[in-house]
Parts: sequence; C-alpha cells; structure tokens
Amino acid sequence: MEPNDLNALRPELILTVLVLTVLTVDLFLGRTWKWLLTPLTVIGLLLVGVSCVFVTGINQTIFAGFYRVDDLSVAFKLSTVVIGILAALFAPPYLAQRRLPLGEFNTILLFSLTGMFVLASASDLITLFIGLELMVMPAYLLAGYHKTDRYSNEGGLKYFLLGSFASAILLFGISWTYGLTGSTRIGEIGDLLGGSGPAGLVAIGMLTVGATFKAAAVPFHFWTPDAYQGAPTPLTGFLSVGPKLGAFALLVRLFVEGLGASGADWFGVMAILALLTMTGGNIVALAQTNVKRMLAYSSIAHTGYIIAGLAAFAHTADATARGEALQSILFYVLGYGVMNIAAFSVVGMLQRDVRRFGGLAAFSGLAGRAPALAAAMAILMLSLTGIPPTVGFFAKLYVLVATVDAGVAWLAVAVALNAALAAFYYLRVIVYMYMREPEAEPAPIERSPTTVLALGLSVAGVILLGLFPDPIISFLRDSAASLL
Amino acid sequence: MSGLPVLTLVVFTPLIGVLLLLFVPRDRARIIRWVALLAALASLGFSLMLLGYQPAGAEFQYREDLAWIPAFGMRYTLGVDGLSVVLVILTTVLSVVSIFYSWDPIQMRVKEYYAAMLLLMVGMLGVFVALDLFLFYVFWELSLIPMYLIIGIWGGPRRIYATVKFVIYTLVGSLLMLVAILAVAIAHAAAGNPFTFSYETLRGFGYADGLQALAFVAFFLAFAIKVPMWPFHTWLPDAHVEAPTAGSIILAGVLLKLGGYGFLRYSLPLLPDAAVSFAPIVIGLAVVAVLYGAMVSMVQPDLKKLIAYSSVSHMGFVMLGAFVFNTQGLQGAVFQMVSHGVTTGALFLLVGVIYERTHDRQIAHMGGLNGRLPRYAAIFGLFTFASIGLPGLSGFIGEFLVVLGSFQYNGWVAAATMLVVIISAVYMLWMFQRVFFAVPSDWMRRSWPSLTDMSRNEWLALAPLILLVVGLGVYPGPVLDAIGAPVQRILEAVNASQGLTSFSLPW
Repeated sequence: MEPNDLNALRPELILTVLVLTVLTVDLFLGRTWKWLLTPLTVIGLLLVGVSCVFVTGINQTIFAGFYRVDDLSVAFKLSTVVIGILAALFAPPYLAQRRLPLGEFNTILLFSLTGMFVLASASDLITLFIGLELMVMPAYLLAGYHKTDRYSNEGGLKYFLLGSFASAILLFGISWTYGLTGSTRIGEIGDLLGGSGPAGLVAIGMLTVGATFKAAAVPFHFWTPDAYQGAPTPLTGFLSVGPKLGAFALLVRLFVEGLGASGADWFGVMAILALLTMTGGNIVALAQTNVKRMLAYSSIAHTGYIIAGLAAFAHTADATARGEALQSILFYVLGYGVMNIAAFSVVGMLQRDVRRFGGLAAFSGLAGRAPALAAAMAILMLSLTGIPPTVGFFAKLYVLVATVDAGVAWLAVAVALNAALAAFYYLRVIVYMYMREPEAEPAPIERSPTTVLALGLSVAGVILLGLFPDPIISFLRDSAASLL
Repeated sequence: MSGLPVLTLVVFTPLIGVLLLLFVPRDRARIIRWVALLAALASLGFSLMLLGYQPAGAEFQYREDLAWIPAFGMRYTLGVDGLSVVLVILTTVLSVVSIFYSWDPIQMRVKEYYAAMLLLMVGMLGVFVALDLFLFYVFWELSLIPMYLIIGIWGGPRRIYATVKFVIYTLVGSLLMLVAILAVAIAHAAAGNPFTFSYETLRGFGYADGLQALAFVAFFLAFAIKVPMWPFHTWLPDAHVEAPTAGSIILAGVLLKLGGYGFLRYSLPLLPDAAVSFAPIVIGLAVVAVLYGAMVSMVQPDLKKLIAYSSVSHMGFVMLGAFVFNTQGLQGAVFQMVSHGVTTGALFLLVGVIYERTHDRQIAHMGGLNGRLPRYAAIFGLFTFASIGLPGLSGFIGEFLVVLGSFQYNGWVAAATMLVVIISAVYMLWMFQRVFFAVPSDWMRRSWPSLTDMSRNEWLALAPLILLVVGLGVYPGPVLDAIGAPVQRILEAVNASQGLTSFSLPW
C-alpha cells in the first residue's frame, strides 16, 4: 500500500469514522437528546461531500488494483451523499411518530452509504461484491425496520430472500468469470471473456441477471413493490434510490469498464431490458391506487430509462456518443434520486395515521389544506413526468440525446412514449390534490423543521438543476471522460 | 437592438405578476385580481412596442441572445418577425380579455387561478418569440400545465376526464417532437458543425431524406394535435365543454394557434423537402377537417360544442392555406389564425355570458333571447357573422385568401372549401335563430327574471375584440404587410425544394 492510497481514500475514511461515531454517540445520548444524531449525520455527510470534491481529478487505482478512485466514482459518491443527507433529514419525524429508534436508523443508513461508496470505486469483482453486500444488507434491515408491522416484515423478508438470491447469481457469475479468465480485475475480464465461447456467455448472462435484479429491471422486479410498500415511507424513499444508484454504479463498472469494448454484443439484451422495464413498470403503475406502490412501479420505469442510456452506450463506438450515454446515466441517477426521495417523503408526511397506507385519497384536496406542500408535490410529480423546466425533464432529455446520438432512435421514441404514458398516473396525484375535495376526516400532516428543510432543498434543486444544469453537466463530462 | 429587452419583458412580466401573487394573502381576492390584470396589461403594453417592427428590415428583430446551457449549445434566443408580432399581440390582447372577464365568474381559489393564467401567458408568448428549438420546446410544455389546471380545477362536471385527455394527447405529440428536435440538432452536428439548437442555423441545413420524413411526422403529430387536425381533434370538444369561459377563450384563441404557428415556423422552413412530399396528405386531412368540423357542428346541441367543432373546421382552413404553398394561401392561413382567435374567443366569451346567467348551454333550452337581451343579441350576431365570413368582418379575409390559394393548387379542393363556407352559414345562422328568435322554451321562461343584459365589465372585455374584428375586416393591410416578408421566406424555402427524392429509414 502506498501512502498516497489513503489520500485518495479520504471520503471513505471520513464516512467510516462517521458511522462509528454515530453508533457510539447513540449509546451515550439520553432519550431527549437523540435528535442530535440527525445534525451529526448531516454535518458528517457534508464533510464527506467536501472531501469528495478534493479527490476529483486524482484518477488513480489503489490497493494493488482493487480500488479505483476516478471522477466517475466521485460523481456516484457525491450523488450518494446528496441522497444520504436527504434520507437522514426526511426520516426522523416519521420514525419518532412510530417510536422507531433513530440511532440505529442513522447507523444503518451510513453503512449502506459506505457500501455504495465501495461499489462506486470497485475495480475488482471481489471489491464489487463486498461493496454490493455492504450496501444491500443494511437496505434489507431498513425495509423491515418497522418491526411490529407485518407489511414491513413481509417487505423486509421478501427483499432479503430475493436479494440474496440475486447476490448468489451474481456471485456465481463472478466465479464463472474467474474460472474462465483467471482474473477478477474488471479491466481485464472483458477481453478474456469475449473469446471464451458459450461459457463466457453464461458468465456474462449471470452477471447481467444479478446486476439488473439489483436495479429492479423487468423481469427481475417482483420484489420491488412489496419491499417498497412495507418499508417505513421515508425509508422507502431511500430504498428506491440508494440501492438503485449502487446498482447502476455496478452496471457501469461491469458493463462500461469491463465489457465496454464488446458493447455491440450486449446491446440487444440491454435494449430489450430497457424497453421491457420502462413499459412494464409504467403499465403496472397505471393500475395502482396506492401512491407508494405507484411510485414503486414508476421507479421500475425510471430504471428502464436509465438502462436505455446504457443501451445507447453499447450501440455506439463513437467516444463522444459514449460519453454522452454515460453522462446521461449519471445525471439521471442523481436527478431521479432527489425527486423520488422527496416524493416519498411527502407521502410519508401524509401518513401519520398508520392504517392509512399511502392511498390516493390521502391527497384529496391537499391544495386547499396545505398549499405549499401540494405545490411541492406537484412540482415533484411534474419533474418525475419529465415536464420542463425541471431536473426530471433534463434527465429524460439527456437519455434522449444519448439514444438519438448513438443511433438508436427507436429507443428514444420508446422513452418519449413511455414518458407520456407515465404522465397519466403522475398527474393523477395532482388531480387528487387540486381537483378533488378533501376527505371528511383528513389525516393530520406531519411537519417538522428537518422535513420542511429537506423538501425545500429538493424542490429548489429540482427546479434549479432543470433550469441551469450546466455546472453539473461539465462535471459529469469530466467524470465520464475518466472512464473512457 | 435598442437597450430595452422588449421580448423578455413581454414574456416574463406575467411571471413577475405570479411572484407578486405569492405575497398576497389568499382571501384578498380584489388585490389578486388587480395584480393579475396589471401584470397582463403591462405585458400587453410591452407587446404593443413591437408595432415598431420594420417589415422591410432584418428578418428577426428585437433579438436577444444569451448563453443558457452551453454544454448542449442551448441558447436563450428571442426574436420576432411579422408572424410572431401578430400572434404575440393576439395573445396579450386575449389574455387581458380573459383575465378581465374572469373578474366576476371566478370566485373559487382566485389566487391559483390567476397564477395559472399568468403562467399560461408566459408559456404561450415564449413559444411565439423563441428562436432556439430547445427554448421553444420548454415554452411549449410550459403552456401545457397551467391549462391542465385551469380546466381541471375550474371546469365543468367532467373536467377531470377532459383535462387528462387534453394533457395526454398533447404530451404524446410534444414528446415525439422533442425526439425530432434532438434528431435534427444531432444530424446537424454530425456533419461537423457545432452542436446548436438555433433555429436560424438549423433551418438552412439539408437533412437526409429519411430523417426529414420521420422528423416531419413527429413535428406533424405535435402540431396537428394542438391545431387540432382531424383525426386528432377528439380532445378539443371535451376540453372546451368543460373549460371555464376564460379557459376556452385562451384555448381557442391562442393555444390552437401554437400548432398553426409550429407548422409555419418549424415544419415548413426546417424540413422543406418532407413538407413538399407530405403536402398532399396534409391537404387531404385539412379538407376532411374543414368538411367534418362544419358538418358535425350542424348537429351539436351544446353551444360550446358547436363552436368547438366550428374551430376544427376553421383551423382546417389554416392548415389548408399553409400547405398549398402560395402567397395567398399562406397569408390567408395566418390571417385566419388571427381572425379565428378574435372571433372564436369572443364567441366563447358570449357563451360564457349567457352561461353565467342560466347555467346552461343547451341550444334547445334557449329561444327568444333577442327580445329579452337585445344588446347581447346584437353582439352575438356580429361575431356570428364574423365566424361565417361575412365581408367587412375579419373572418372573410382569411377564408377568402385561403380559398383563392387553394384554387391555384386544385380546383376541387377549392370547391370543397367553398361548400363549407355555405355549411358554416347554415350551422351558425340556424344556431342564432334557435337561440335568439325561436319561441322561448318553458325552461328559458322560468329563468326569464334572472336574465339581465350585458354588464359593464362584459362590454369592456368585449370592446377590444369588437374593434379588432371590424377593424381587421375593413382594413387588413397592417397584418398582411407584417406577414408578407415571413410568408415569402417560407415560400422560398419550400419552392426551392424538390421534395423527398429517396426515402430510407435511418436505422
């Protein structure tokens, strides 16, 4: 190990120290002082974010090839930090209302973020797998966090069983890969697997299945709605974006870095997965009357759009077009993360009564009861639909640019038509909020300074990033360039 | 360009109004109304500065050009030619009229209502002045959501069905258009040019035939749904019937023009070869729309639906004029857009007037209004005749020019459209007769006491439209002068084209 290695590892080190600090401090805080954990976590994550900025441009492989700190990984890590801060701010009132412990939540959340950091930087299949498991193990816990609620139990168990199954498939794929190539270096397996015939295909197939399972692509999505519906709502927000971000970090590492050269071979698979995922997610989301399930299925559709970006990458050999495809993935993951986690938090705020389970009725007449909250939710829904000037629009635009530029216009058309399809169910929330009368006994709205702050930040981010995405784009250009 | 960014002021003054509205408490309805009206009036005032447009000068005047998202070559480019000037002023006038008209009818959630109206103004005005395809798209979508809310919140009983249908229809078209915009910009960049969405740069480029054909279809869908053209018109009657009066005025008066403007500004100059090749199909659809709209109008029992279907017919004239590719046709198309905006806007307003009093729009329920409301009948009559196309009123000029233009294209097409001029007289006059002269129904007699003639506010709202419909009918010169140069440019673009010579899919 070189001394420089630790230098590049600063964000991870700070994050790990933060996890342990939160874990320890939690033990010594009295019940009335537990709220301190939230500012501690947030400030710690801000520090991690700042330290991430300092490792940009380093682009070095450390730990004898197991770990790579490049700008691409920094982009993923910064998105992780943003999502982590939002998750830490959104959850506390919901947890307090249900007497769920805050300390464990923060610790588990931070462990999961650590896993995402490792995943983003993995340059070896072993590191990749460790990062993945470090990310999803805490996620299983979060899904089942509401111990006394049977939906939460069901969701957690389902997520755990199917997730482990997927991990096993991925691990099997990794072992096939090692058996065939004698290497676990992501940078090396591409060339070696390419020439290994049908056995190589089996290995790639298993890696694909395992990875897309984690990203919840159709037809490997069945765990998503139940896991998302059961989990405490603000935690669902995190589950729907955090592990997804990790899964795309994994997909980018595996397919772009590892198998990028043979893109034409796996383009077909990715294109079909993208098409199935966006269409399938949208069609099922259309039929949902429960907002949580609706958002869960719609998150599947968003996975499809991101995979379309990956397919665009595979289809072209042109460096600029490939860069655009990679940037579209990064941009979409970040934008989607912010808007989706905020949307789930609004659902959580309306769910004070435990029995009301995020049904659409909770949104009836919200515009009259809480105009600001309704406006925020409306902006988030429009952003998820992809209406300008929001970040959701620009994210879709990015995918469209990437697909058109890569010469897969039919996929762009599919994305466009799916966005129109999605408008139907996203706008339904607006219909309920603005065009219906409130219920006879509306549930009280859960407001706390932290959620209001986080929601305000998210909505401002959604609009500002939609109007002025330029700084992010130029950063993502550098990030994508670091891999290509 | 003078120092004052006139176009930015025109477009974004309403947005300042929205921001001011945020600080007005929601129960102070009077202040809210004044803020909204003043913001709209300010925008109107700025738009009147555009009358200083020089028809003989540069193509696009009052230009503003700022970098916006350099990473993708998107720029904040605004500029107007005669076509834009005419439509911008139409928009500001109709917006002021509808905001003023809403003074009394809208009593529920006043603040949201005026915020939506002002945002709608921003989107519509932006579409007419944007010279960057991406900026154009952003404004195009921006105009969608406020109308969605206006129909959905302040609309009639089936408002939710109507508004969702409106949005989904429009979104399908516009998202495909977005793909087409990207495809065009990328094809331009692929030839070694810098990546740009600038309209002026993109339009002269010779795109491959396959791309042109597909992009044309995508643009066509977006614009044809907005116009709306048969067979994409089915959202329109629903939206109109359910929309509040002011919503209908804007919808018919301006939103439909976005589609017509899109064809003239983007489809024709950007993709001339495809436009030439597809013209016969579009003309065929336009003739069907003209005939179909008129025939369906004859049997409508609901006043608003009747006018909505007559819009399908009148906008068919616009499409016909746009695609016969001669001076008369194109000038007629533009003039018809303006005239239809004024006439139909006024007719919807007038239907709103009677609806406010009786809460009913069924023609069969009316009758004998001429005796009870003579002034109302007189004004309604004026706009009925304008809609039919009586010489001396604005409707005549547009239809006459379009028929003239289509006669040069094909005698049979002209004959079919002439027939429609007669049918339009049938349905409008028959409607007028049933509403104003027939024996009053029992239902109408019961509400007799509550019927009062037009109020001062209603007169004030209608006054500019009356002036315009007579003024443009008697003296159309200024509008025709303003649109002369833009029309010639469109003609140069399409007449230089031989159409698509080879056609193959780009993938």
